[in-house]
Amino acid sequence: MAIAVKLDDVLHDRRMTLTELADRIGITLANLSILKTGKARAIRFSTLDAICKALACQPGDILRFEPD
Amino acid sequence: MSRPYSAALPIARVTLKVLIVLNWLYGIAILALLVVLPHEQWILAEFKLSPSPDADRLIMGLRAIAVIGIASVPVHYVVLRRLLAIVETVRAGDPFVAANASRLQAIGWALLALQLLSLVVGAIADALSTPAHPLHFDAGFSISGWLAVLLTFVLARVFAEGALMREDLERTV
Repeated sequence: MAIAVKLDDVLHDRRMTLTELADRIGITLANLSILKTGKARAIRFSTLDAICKALACQPGDILRFEPD
Repeated sequence: MSRPYSAALPIARVTLKVLIVLNWLYGIAILALLVVLPHEQWILAEFKLSPSPDADRLIMGLRAIAVIGIASVPVHYVVLRRLLAIVETVRAGDPFVAANASRLQAIGWALLALQLLSLVVGAIADALSTPAHPLHFDAGFSISGWLAVLLTFVLARVFAEGALMREDLERTV
């Protein structure tokens, strides 16, 4: 898919682990792993909102369009 | 939220299992009939006929119908077995899977084959039937039968779409 998930990079910048993020936003680690590894089919606005709040970032910092 | 208990599933499961056994017994019974059918005297006596070309035609026709009856047994098995598998997935709480769409598609083709076989049996029965010796077979064109074929293919498509939506939902974060 042409949409790349850059959650790992943002987490690294914030010195935060995926488990900590999962605890903060109340989403299971399994679901966040699906998102992080690019296996997700869709992302809810509520999830994006929670991630952006927790990481103090913009949706564009997490998702990027990379043509195939 | 717990779902209300429905007796439909256990009843369907037991009924389908019984029907699978009955279907095989039906096949064995027709096979036995086909073995008996060569005894022309027995058939002629049953239909109160004397040996004649018409009597030979009747015997040939009955044999053909018996062969079609045997051919329908594995087709019925396809329908019953797949329906049972669908019921099992409903019991397991996950019926919207791609496998059920394929199963319904297979059931649709099997029902179509059964309708075609029914048309052939009806045509043979019509050809054999005479005012003196009318033959009554529950076969031929059936609007409800063809509607069932159509409905099954539509349902297969609905299940295929449902399975895709379910997969999307499962991978929505």
